[in-house]
Amino acid sequence: MDQTDNQLIAAALGGSLPAWDALVRRHERRVYNLGLRLLNNPDDAMDLVQDVFLGVYRNLYRFRAESQFSTWLFRIVHNKAVDLIRRRQTGPEIEYWFEEGTPEPANDLPGPLDSYLETEMNQRISQLMSRLPPAQRLIVELKVFQALTFEEIAPLQDIPVNTAKTRFYTALKNLKAMIEAQT
Amino acid sequence: MSCPHTPEIIADHCDPDVSAEVLQRHRVHLETCKVCQQELLTLRSVPGQLLRWQSIPVPHWDRSGMVKATSERKPLPNRFHQWPAIRQWLPLVASLVLAVAVIAQTSMSVGPQGWSVSFGVQSPGLSAEQLDEYLTAHANAQQAETREWVEAALQTHGQTTADSIYQWMTYIEQQRALDVQRMDAGFEQLMNRDFQTVDSVKQLASYVMYQVAP
Repeated sequence: MDQTDNQLIAAALGGSLPAWDALVRRHERRVYNLGLRLLNNPDDAMDLVQDVFLGVYRNLYRFRAESQFSTWLFRIVHNKAVDLIRRRQTGPEIEYWFEEGTPEPANDLPGPLDSYLETEMNQRISQLMSRLPPAQRLIVELKVFQALTFEEIAPLQDIPVNTAKTRFYTALKNLKAMIEAQT
Repeated sequence: MSCPHTPEIIADHCDPDVSAEVLQRHRVHLETCKVCQQELLTLRSVPGQLLRWQSIPVPHWDRSGMVKATSERKPLPNRFHQWPAIRQWLPLVASLVLAVAVIAQTSMSVGPQGWSVSFGVQSPGLSAEQLDEYLTAHANAQQAETREWVEAALQTHGQTTADSIYQWMTYIEQQRALDVQRMDAGFEQLMNRDFQTVDSVKQLASYVMYQVAP
């Protein structure tokens, strides 16, 4: 019978390497795929995984079983991902992306996105995501892939709920414009 | 054209936890708002397209490496579970003790019966009445001593002669000189009690400074 997260944490805090290994294996895939979508680079995604679990290991004694481990873990993942996105942000910014509050979508994206049609699905999605501004990228990740509610997303990003909803709407419009530009 | 309700309607459409009451309100709005209808039709498919993502397994990596690397290093002190470093508070404690001693006018006296500490303003070392009593007692003792000496001298010399009177006078003068010396010594001893107190505090201060100095 599988041990619960809390049992594995207790054993890991007691010095059990197999327990720590099992805990990491249970959650690393979710972190790695999040990194692939947000950072669009397997090496950066692996850096994120290692950063996250190093932070988890160092702070494991602070974890209180009052909340779920996955929720606590995701807060660390979010903070590390924001840091990595800021550090890795070297690509050219597209100036005419819609900002929050801009009413009309622009459908005239240039040709480079056409190549997405020939790539695999994951690569297309991660590249679409990578073209979003970081704040919009994060909110799409949190809402669509992590299935958080806007009430959960807002405090993570330190913004009001309505701002989170507006940012998500703007991100969807940008993504839709990119997808249409591919076809 | 735009509608201020569009972001909330699109966001809530993607939120499975939104209440039925809110959804009903959105439905009512959508019946009359063409902008929101169009945006919902346009954007509703985007999340579904993103969710075609295929989860990828994590490449092999050393999961226990960080544990070994961390355990080889000296652990960081956990300040929440440690006694405070007493040494760093010693100078402050010593200063506080001295400040309290000064404010409370602490005096310490050391005598044959041991040492004692007292606080507050002390009465003057010797009041006028005490001094009178002391002098009276001293004069009485001196007279008694002189009387004993005269009686002893009379028994020794039998009768009064010019030589014996001279010897008496010399002896009495010597005794007077001794008495004066004794009185001086007594007064000096009384005075020294206060000096001893000050000296004791100085010794305490120097001891504390010696202990605190790194």
